[in-house]
Amino acid sequence: MTDNKTMAYINMFAVLGTLEDLCELDGKAKELLKGTKPISTGFDVKDGPQATIRFANGKCTVTEGCSDCDIKLPFSNVDKFNGMINGTVKPFPSKGFTKISFLLKTFTALTDRLEEVMRPTPEALKDPEFFNLSTTLTFYTITSAISQLGNHDPISTFSASNIDDGDIMMSIKDGPKANIRAKNHKLTTIKNCEDAPRAIMEFGSMQLASDLFNGKVNALACIGEGTIRMKGMASMLDNLNRILDRVALYLA
Amino acid sequence: MSFPEYTHEKSREWFSRASKVIPAGVYGHLGPAEGLFIPVEKWPLFSEKAEGTYFWDVDGNRYIDYMCAYGPNILGYNDPDVDAAVAAQMKLGNCTTSPSKIMVECAEMLVDTVDSADWCFFAKNGNDTTQTAVVTARAYTHRKKVIFFKGYYHGVSPWQAKKDYGGVLEEEVMYNIILPWDDIPALEKTVAENKNEIAAIIAQPYDHGNFHDNVVMTNEFWAKVRKICDDNGIQLIIDDVRAGFRLDLAGSDHYFGFKADMICFCKALANGYNMSALMGREHLKNTISGLSITGSYWMSAVPFAACIATINKLKEINAPQLFDTLGTKLINGLIVAGKENGFNLVASGKPALFYLRVANDNSLFLHQEWVAECVSRGIFFTSHHNHFINAALTDEDINHTIEVAEDAFRAVKKNHPELG
Repeated sequence: MTDNKTMAYINMFAVLGTLEDLCELDGKAKELLKGTKPISTGFDVKDGPQATIRFANGKCTVTEGCSDCDIKLPFSNVDKFNGMINGTVKPFPSKGFTKISFLLKTFTALTDRLEEVMRPTPEALKDPEFFNLSTTLTFYTITSAISQLGNHDPISTFSASNIDDGDIMMSIKDGPKANIRAKNHKLTTIKNCEDAPRAIMEFGSMQLASDLFNGKVNALACIGEGTIRMKGMASMLDNLNRILDRVALYLA
Repeated sequence: MSFPEYTHEKSREWFSRASKVIPAGVYGHLGPAEGLFIPVEKWPLFSEKAEGTYFWDVDGNRYIDYMCAYGPNILGYNDPDVDAAVAAQMKLGNCTTSPSKIMVECAEMLVDTVDSADWCFFAKNGNDTTQTAVVTARAYTHRKKVIFFKGYYHGVSPWQAKKDYGGVLEEEVMYNIILPWDDIPALEKTVAENKNEIAAIIAQPYDHGNFHDNVVMTNEFWAKVRKICDDNGIQLIIDDVRAGFRLDLAGSDHYFGFKADMICFCKALANGYNMSALMGREHLKNTISGLSITGSYWMSAVPFAACIATINKLKEINAPQLFDTLGTKLINGLIVAGKENGFNLVASGKPALFYLRVANDNSLFLHQEWVAECVSRGIFFTSHHNHFINAALTDEDINHTIEVAEDAFRAVKKNHPELG
């Protein structure tokens, strides 16, 4: 069972949050952003997440809060926001009417591209470059979702309550990495972090990570085979894995 | 002295075969995931044979086994006295329609041995006994709630799990109350806030949980817990599955100077033959008699024969004293070996069930490396769990262990020039 409020946080910071990486890593996304003047869109969800997505100099950043933005999209509840992500709700801005063409054109094209990469066709995955991009973005979405679950999902907050302070590094060998930072049982995902972790979980290859994300291989068997490496504070990893198990419920 | 590292080609081959037909290859605590084989290449995955304090893996490597099959090996693998009793009973019968009279003899022997117990209810695994104990407490008190101490492990039934475990319903753990160890005010407050609602407190005799230094409770702590239970009609269940017969043959409650209402035994009961026993006090006998709890193999005769032989031998050799002596010698030697190589090895818990941690970093990276270097040189430790002493361990084995441990410390140091 999933929780709609948690889903809204995942949609905001893990799904839309991956726009940051899409704009950095994907040539097509860079093309879409070419010539775009700096612009920011705030998402204001009542009793839910608030965030601002900024585009400037070909880069995208997602930050918490929406008090300072060019366009503001208010949502009366988390279901409405989740509906926008699912394509069943059309948002209306409360601010920035003159800039709405950005939302209708560039932003929509970027989110369409994100969906194309995150929900790829088997045919598209045959292209090694696209495969790497898709797997990398999926990795970032999952690692970002872990923190949102740990902070909001009624079951995963229990798991987070048992995680000691410190960083857990998740990585794909020769690929992306992210630290899940626990402080007072609140989790934050920091992409490409260089800080020393107290625990490590490394997937042996992009292919293995992709197979795991798609449920094609068993994680425990992979540990036995040595294709998933874990070390360090086992209790931190144990509780992180319980959250990871629930990520699939939300991102399926 | 340096020791060559083992290789595990055949283990890998068998694991590859296993993964095709067994979930996770080897699931549970004996497997590489839950057993934290870090890195997995340093560890054996399947055994070929065992004898005394040793087992040999499928590649022919010998290990001094400080996990003792996670507890069941208490006298030594293939103990001749136990195996003779087993062979004799096997000729008479094992799993029969009418239980063998040896069940009665086994129960009489255990009731005479365990100080707090007036009866004995047999099953197969530790989980069966903790499950039965809680059901008995609920049936006796007509109450729902159960108090656990933080970091608990009492088995794998849903009620014993936590709400974030896969397949466990929140409703199945909604009557569980988790309190910190050694916090009598918190216990008193909880009991007061849940007056006439708490059926039982279930706890191991001390905090010998995984992933952290173990903490031994005091007699005073247990005396206070006992009084709180007595004053409030709460049944006190001791899960002695792990520590049972290693601290005190009369039960770990006896060791800490109190009487449990029910006490759960399994691992060390029969030196590896499959049985468990829930033992309890007279006032609960009628209640448990009326419960619908049983199992296909719970009254099999062969393990009872093994149990009688095991407990008698443990008495003959004063096993708890022996384990304390051997464990203390081993721990002291390991600590010195660490110190001489710049490592701060912390030992906690009772010597019979010692827990180890290299404390030079806060991540356990160094500890896991050292444990792996020991395992790959024939000393089977784990990095996350308490260890076990068995009676077949000799001073010579301990001396060899310390020499290997020292070599393992040197190997870790060599890989970490930053340690100086």
